[in-house]
Amino acid sequence: MPALNTVGHSTPRIDAVERVTGRAKYTNDVQLPGMLYAKVLRSPHPHARIRSIDTTRAQALPGVKAILTHETTPVVWGAGGIAGGQQYNDEVKKITKHRRYAFNNPVRFVGEPVAAVAAENRHIAEEALRLIAVDYEILPFVLEPEAALESDAPKIWPEGNIAVNNRNEPLPITQKRGDAHAAFATAPHVFEDRYSTSFVHNAQMEPRSAVAHWDGDKLTLYTPTGGISNCQHDMARDLGIADEKVRVVCHYMGGNFGNKNQNQDGDLITAMLAKAAGAPVKLEFSRKDDFIGMHGRWPTVQYYKVAVDNDGTLQAVQLRGYSGMGPYRKNSGAIGGIELYRCPNVDHVVTPVYTNRTVSANFRGPEFPQGFFGIQSMMDDVAYKLNMDPVEFGVKNMSRMFRDEVPFTNFTLEECIRRGAELFDWTQRWRPLPGADAGPIKRGAGFTYMLFRSGLGMSSAVVQVDANAKYTLFVGVTDVGAGAKTTMGLIAAEALGVPLSQVTVVWGDTDRCPYSVGESGSRTTIMTGYAVMEAVRDLKQQLAEKGMPTGSQTLVAKASPNPRLEGKVRNAFGAHFVEVEVDTELGHVRLTKYVAVHDSGRIMNPLTATSQILGAATMGVGMALHENLVYDQKSGQPLSAGFYYDRIPTHLDAPTVEVSFVENDDGYGAYGAKSIGESGIILSPGAINNAIFNAIGKRLKDLPITRDKVLGALA
Amino acid sequence: MNEKLPDSPDWTRREFLAGTSAALVVAAAAAGTLEAQTPGAAPAIAVDPAVPHSTIRLTVNGVARDVEVEDRWTLAELLRDRLGLTGTKIGCDRGECGACTVLVDDQPVYSCSNLAVWMDGRRVTTVEGLSNGGPLTPLQQAFVAHDAAQCGFCTSGQLMSATALLKRNPRPSAADVKAALAGNLCRCGNYNRYVDSVVAAGGGVRSSVGGDQ
Repeated sequence: MPALNTVGHSTPRIDAVERVTGRAKYTNDVQLPGMLYAKVLRSPHPHARIRSIDTTRAQALPGVKAILTHETTPVVWGAGGIAGGQQYNDEVKKITKHRRYAFNNPVRFVGEPVAAVAAENRHIAEEALRLIAVDYEILPFVLEPEAALESDAPKIWPEGNIAVNNRNEPLPITQKRGDAHAAFATAPHVFEDRYSTSFVHNAQMEPRSAVAHWDGDKLTLYTPTGGISNCQHDMARDLGIADEKVRVVCHYMGGNFGNKNQNQDGDLITAMLAKAAGAPVKLEFSRKDDFIGMHGRWPTVQYYKVAVDNDGTLQAVQLRGYSGMGPYRKNSGAIGGIELYRCPNVDHVVTPVYTNRTVSANFRGPEFPQGFFGIQSMMDDVAYKLNMDPVEFGVKNMSRMFRDEVPFTNFTLEECIRRGAELFDWTQRWRPLPGADAGPIKRGAGFTYMLFRSGLGMSSAVVQVDANAKYTLFVGVTDVGAGAKTTMGLIAAEALGVPLSQVTVVWGDTDRCPYSVGESGSRTTIMTGYAVMEAVRDLKQQLAEKGMPTGSQTLVAKASPNPRLEGKVRNAFGAHFVEVEVDTELGHVRLTKYVAVHDSGRIMNPLTATSQILGAATMGVGMALHENLVYDQKSGQPLSAGFYYDRIPTHLDAPTVEVSFVENDDGYGAYGAKSIGESGIILSPGAINNAIFNAIGKRLKDLPITRDKVLGALA
Repeated sequence: MNEKLPDSPDWTRREFLAGTSAALVVAAAAAGTLEAQTPGAAPAIAVDPAVPHSTIRLTVNGVARDVEVEDRWTLAELLRDRLGLTGTKIGCDRGECGACTVLVDDQPVYSCSNLAVWMDGRRVTTVEGLSNGGPLTPLQQAFVAHDAAQCGFCTSGQLMSATALLKRNPRPSAADVKAALAGNLCRCGNYNRYVDSVVAAGGGVRSSVGGDQ
């Protein structure tokens, strides 16, 4: 892979100075003249019908300018509940029966919006919420997906609690090949087990906020979104106005981590309050609002059955999985992982289930950290039971073609695993006999591997040059923290053959930027990056024909390529190796070594790419060991809403992560770039769990692996 | 079913602070001699004359000023909404995350958990005051070079805690940095980068990326 001039060299972010001086303006930093402040009243009940809402006392409070409820504002939030959970499909949003409104009646989870107030300042808005009297008829509720499928479970929707697919049918997600049933009957070894994962909140540092103002019939919305284009379209559809009547602006955003490439109910509520009050409105979520009113990773229960030959060759894998979606299907609820293995017989049935918990949605590698924790723990266990080294079992059984059928554009999974094992010193650190260390502090090593989508798709870019050879790149990215703005600048500079300093990037404003696919699915570098290359190609052609512009003239080129892969699948690959130290008296798990190897294609900017892996692996530590939105089973109340009680990782929890990239250029995407942002978190929970098993000889099966569970397993 | 929820961290930061504020207002008012000064930035939010308010004198980023504040305002509200210093971020508004960390008399404090009236006679430094429009401090430069800020929302707080650390311990070890910054959460999980930046700014050479342990 020949080196490039600009791409591939570690480069500090083009906006790094703004980020370290406090000059970067986030949504809540926007201050407009005459702006009001908004707060949302939320349901204290997991399931209740609203008999009446009395807002008279709140209306009478001096300084209150507008109040909205489900009675005044029956607006459908299209992205809030989608049959089948397909996020970017307008047709499905139209036919969805289990619809979510900005304000719903009945309310179906603690934290669901009931009313919103705009007032002269946030203190008056808070006070007004206390003056709204809501008469609730309490309904029975159900919190766990398996309980919700019992015949006597309270029905969250009239049709029952199986989340409907894109034809409004209550059917599970299935994948079958071969005959797993027959294989289980004849295989020499059959293993069964159950794993579960918890609801993990995005918990981005920036609590949700939005600022809306109307200029006549045109809405300007400042909001933390990873996709200004999709957010704009969602707002226009939900409000029943044309796309061009909505301007969405997001220049800086305090973390994404999933399900933000769209609009949110808070955006709709803010826009409607601004309309009702005739003034700009800023909505501010408290941290608790954010935790219970937004979304997080869907919790799962996974029942595996695995058949293996005497030589350790996988014969069959069966999964019966259940995903807790909350009361609306925002996204798929799938459980990934079956695609990791070459296997002739697969029987995979996952049922997304409605529950009266906070809504689940896409969170960094949506269905994979849950599923990979389950299947990679299961397979690790199978390897030990067959007296095999888990690394050798993995290499022997890993997929070499997508679903054993379609070839990959390139395949480096084995190289990632081998390099990781070497950097980690697997043969020295792994204990052939788990739990063999003497004394109360025991060490152990574990690993997992992954593959993850890196497909192609449509996005756009515009590039312009003026008479002074100043290049301006217009891209609809918002830079959620991954460094997209800088990456797009690097790609443009490389394609133009000019230094990065000669390229100005314009971003984060639908009035100034073309459509972008949005920062979700680890797609921006691949898709928008490729659009940048195509726009530059066009510009260079124009320059060759017309020469440099003169005077006040400019040359402009736009590209909206939609590249396709024929007969191939494009994936990123990776392997993580973890060593832990388990205190068997206290149940404490400490990470003592962490090696992450990734094939994310050609790395555009090693500095920011490495940060992605470091951060995602650390986020995975939280999922593995700490995080869980705990509910009180009797009252249906969330108990751990907030950073402290949810225990997201701190400086003291973060492992030192060694990152290594297996670089290559398969000829697709921007200079061969593949996905990266989500990869890191997919691997860590399984690797940590496998290391714990190696240390203590006991298999933990339920996330998060808190101290009480470690001690329970050892008891 | 309108009884108190069973979790009970529902007692908000503002309710808690409000219960303790009256006595402290009196103490604060006695401490300062008032001197009229024009604030540098136009106040974005006006004081509501209908609620208890006070005039305090404090130094913000080296500039002494008298400011009228509502007694219920936190220091974070004063800085962000009244003085326009929005580099200080509010991540939780209840003393859990450290995004709002500023220096008060060189000590790092959570500005969401301190009332503005308590700042009478105090010296407050925010992220805007680190370089004060001049060249970046060595710590800020290290943050840039090491890609410490991913989304950037916790960065101001990390910078302020680290600035205080370097003042009392100019050459901290990685362990020193982790201990000093333990109250500053980063959901991007960029802790290795933050530690490297602070150690490097102190003149130490350590890269936790590919690092030791």
